[in-house]
Amino acid sequence: MDEKRNRDVWVFAEQRNGELHDVSLELLGKARDLADKTGSKVIAVLIGYHVRKLAQTLVNHGADVVFVADDTRLENYRLLPYTHVFESLIKEHGPDVVLIGATAMGVELAPRVAARIRTGLSAHCIDLKLDENGNLLQVVPGWGGGVVATIACPDHRPQMSTVMPGAMKALPEEEREGRIEEMYVDLPDSNMGPEILGIERVVAGEQPLEKAEVVVAGGWGVGSEENWSLLEELARLLGGAVGATRPPVDEGWAREGQMVGQSGKTIRPTLYIGVGISGVMHHVVGMDQSKNIISINSNPDADIFEASDVIVAEDFMKILPPLIRELKSRVKSWRSINISEEK
Amino acid sequence: MNRIIVCVKPVPDPKHWDKVSMDPETKTLKREGIPNIMNPLDKHALEAALALRESHGGEVVLLSMAPPFAKTTIREGLAMGADRAVLLSDRVFAGSDSLATAEILAAGCRWIGGFDIVLCGNLSIDGSTAQICSQLAEMLDLPNVMHVTGMEESGEDNLIITQKIENGYVKLFSGFPVVLSVRKEVNKPRYIPFTGILAAESKEITMLSNKDLCVDPERIGLKGSPTKMAGLEVRKFERKKEKLEGTVDDIVEKLVERIYQCGVIEC
Amino acid sequence: MEFAFTEREEMLRKAVREFAEAEIPPRMEAMEETGEFPMDLLKPMAQVGITGIITPPEYSGVGMNYVARTIVLEELGRVCAAFPMALQVHHMACAALNDFGTDEQKKKYLPALATGETLGTVGVTDPSGGSDLIGMKTTAELKGDKYILNGRKCFITNSHLSDFWIVIAKTGEGAKGLSAFIVDKDTPGAKLGRKENKFGLRGANTGEWAFDNCEVPKENLIGQEGQGLTVALKTISETGRTGMAATALGILQAVYEEAGKFANERVLYGKPISTLQAIQFLVAEIYTQLDICRLLNYRASWMKDQNMRCDTETGMAKYYTCNAAVEAAKKAIEIHGSYGIMKEYAVQRLFRDAMVTVPAGGTAEVAKTGIGRAALAPFKK
Repeated sequence: MDEKRNRDVWVFAEQRNGELHDVSLELLGKARDLADKTGSKVIAVLIGYHVRKLAQTLVNHGADVVFVADDTRLENYRLLPYTHVFESLIKEHGPDVVLIGATAMGVELAPRVAARIRTGLSAHCIDLKLDENGNLLQVVPGWGGGVVATIACPDHRPQMSTVMPGAMKALPEEEREGRIEEMYVDLPDSNMGPEILGIERVVAGEQPLEKAEVVVAGGWGVGSEENWSLLEELARLLGGAVGATRPPVDEGWAREGQMVGQSGKTIRPTLYIGVGISGVMHHVVGMDQSKNIISINSNPDADIFEASDVIVAEDFMKILPPLIRELKSRVKSWRSINISEEK
Repeated sequence: MNRIIVCVKPVPDPKHWDKVSMDPETKTLKREGIPNIMNPLDKHALEAALALRESHGGEVVLLSMAPPFAKTTIREGLAMGADRAVLLSDRVFAGSDSLATAEILAAGCRWIGGFDIVLCGNLSIDGSTAQICSQLAEMLDLPNVMHVTGMEESGEDNLIITQKIENGYVKLFSGFPVVLSVRKEVNKPRYIPFTGILAAESKEITMLSNKDLCVDPERIGLKGSPTKMAGLEVRKFERKKEKLEGTVDDIVEKLVERIYQCGVIEC
Repeated sequence: MEFAFTEREEMLRKAVREFAEAEIPPRMEAMEETGEFPMDLLKPMAQVGITGIITPPEYSGVGMNYVARTIVLEELGRVCAAFPMALQVHHMACAALNDFGTDEQKKKYLPALATGETLGTVGVTDPSGGSDLIGMKTTAELKGDKYILNGRKCFITNSHLSDFWIVIAKTGEGAKGLSAFIVDKDTPGAKLGRKENKFGLRGANTGEWAFDNCEVPKENLIGQEGQGLTVALKTISETGRTGMAATALGILQAVYEEAGKFANERVLYGKPISTLQAIQFLVAEIYTQLDICRLLNYRASWMKDQNMRCDTETGMAKYYTCNAAVEAAKKAIEIHGSYGIMKEYAVQRLFRDAMVTVPAGGTAEVAKTGIGRAALAPFKK
């Protein structure tokens, strides 16, 4: 380890089009926590063009210092120029920890930077801790979540991690004091990799039931076609699809093709929200491989609760309207990319 | 098109993952009785390579770093249509993390030589680090693109690549050689044709050890891996059954939080 | 003695299972409802090699053996038995042409069958009866350079899905009085009859043909005039029976899987019912029957591959496996309780499908007649 070594915790402040990715603010929250334990600084690294204006937001979420690498050649993210800038800063300042969001950009950039520096990188962390020596312990899921490993990087610095969006909590934004430092950007003339021909923004449309990442499913308990439209609205907000048990299909609230279960479709969405579903075996076999299951049913003894991660034993008519209102005010028009895709 | 290298990895079949347990002595995973399959995304990478070969000629070579049992999985790739395979197998490779693995695979790529594209799956379903594409490219000093959902050849030696990002796509223009990793949307892999099973029996699988590759022993295996396993825990699959209680406002707030934690939305 | 599958055979099983599990289930609901075979899968099946598996490579086939074919049919049957039903009859057409056809006939028809241009079909049974071949009423009379066909054929698998038909008709009397023909479906006087509405194997098409002074060119005769019984018996006993047996074997495997899965999922008295000895015994019986049948099937196919006489063994495999599939499916329904008779659960379909395999391709009694003859032969004075 070289002499410049310090205990600083760095966060890669990801932005596209001048918009910060929320995961960067979450990472600042965690970095603050880690740095306070060791009495060191939190440094955000902001790379782009005309991005200085974002620096104060980073300070307000917990950064002590923001390094800004602002250059017209860095306007759109490109792997090799960003790798070069990031690597140069790390080599110059020698941080102890570098945290990067496990986003499309982060999972491409972080390993390249780590390989260039020849240090360790853990992937898709869900938790970060310090051991008794102040070394970073990085908790990562494997085997579809069935195995959880703790990774350490004892002999190399910095200790680098990509972290799952949503795994850490951002600090509430408040006026804070911080230093904003402009970095000198020196890009070599050599081949900087693929050129961008264009960037296309797509708002996720309605998904077919089997492919949807989110499924909102309803059962007999939904009660009427009018109530059913609440499920459709919730699904739309979450960029998902609507599924059903048999009774809503028989009642004509849902179509035959929306049926989930033994005689319908088998689904494995990332999130399944069951509304007014009692949980007979017919239905459960079609959805029990969902990654996360939330069930809302007014009957506290509903069988579906046995197969659920989150249980809401309330009348859905009390829950859904305020839930939809709340989500509407918070959800951006686009959904996050599923990095940890499987099968 | 010159030559395309496709990196493939045998992984434990997820249908049998409930059988995984941990050896309490060695703190390693016991995966006995779990059959291996080709990492699903690697099949998409291979399909992409075969499609390029069909329209532009060239040779498709499989590359894998794995114990000798991987031959069965590699044979499947040959049956799908790859021309030949190189299997990097040596005890000194054991325990390699992604950085050391990339080092070894890079040596394999150099040993094969003369390639225009190296293709991999975006991630493997067991380790799921998704680090090989970028790290292999770094070792080879070549550009790379991850999350590829489309590629078409443009002129003699350029590719137009479609890359999926959070809220859309990036179109990239790349020369050769380049390292790419694909998402499953890129194509639908072909089924193994029966004639391919017969043809694969006479295709060559070259076995190489570190005697052939001569990678610095300090850079491979456990010794060459900066990341170390500090703990391992097998989680028996169980639903959390967390009951949300309180006022309607409390419940709704917690619900939004739980939905957000699933990573399906951006708040 | 060797009881293990080769690496090639293992990979074949894996390959066809992957295809079957991905492509067939999305189509099964429609098959059950309409009784139509999903012809859109014919070309994909040909690309994989399912249609041409036993056809030699010089006729665009794969050129694998009967053990391989049994693996393929079993795996398809495990997912949906209508598939091996349709394909095993398709293979009968391939075998009849390959074994008895002229070079011209092989060149014209075998590649079309292997590459999935059309499904193959064979019509032997008359409405007057199937087991009594010589008693059939359909006639073919030679006039000049044409045969004139008259009569009807029934219970024909793939009847409405094929571009050309292999037909057995009477050209004389007695055992040497039958001949086999290729009839183009567009030949004047060749007509499609009714489509049957079966309670099982619903996705496999079964129907009738009628011949009304249908003129078939002389060169469409398969083999020699009077060789029809040989064509029919060899094709039925070697290709047809092994195919029907493999279909039932696939059903049996599915029955076993459904029974085991349900017994472990269904909780009664606070425990999965698989902990009850009554259930364990039922599953044990199904499992044993499955193993007996698998051994019978692969031994019969292996003998065919060794060019050994195997009519007794194919008969044993056919009658025993089809009956065992019915018995096992019934036990699986018992394990399921009332769920077992609900359309939502696969076991009721497996039971219906198994029942249809029993008379198809020759009843158990016909098979037993042959087996009995062979069994008693050593004691004949």
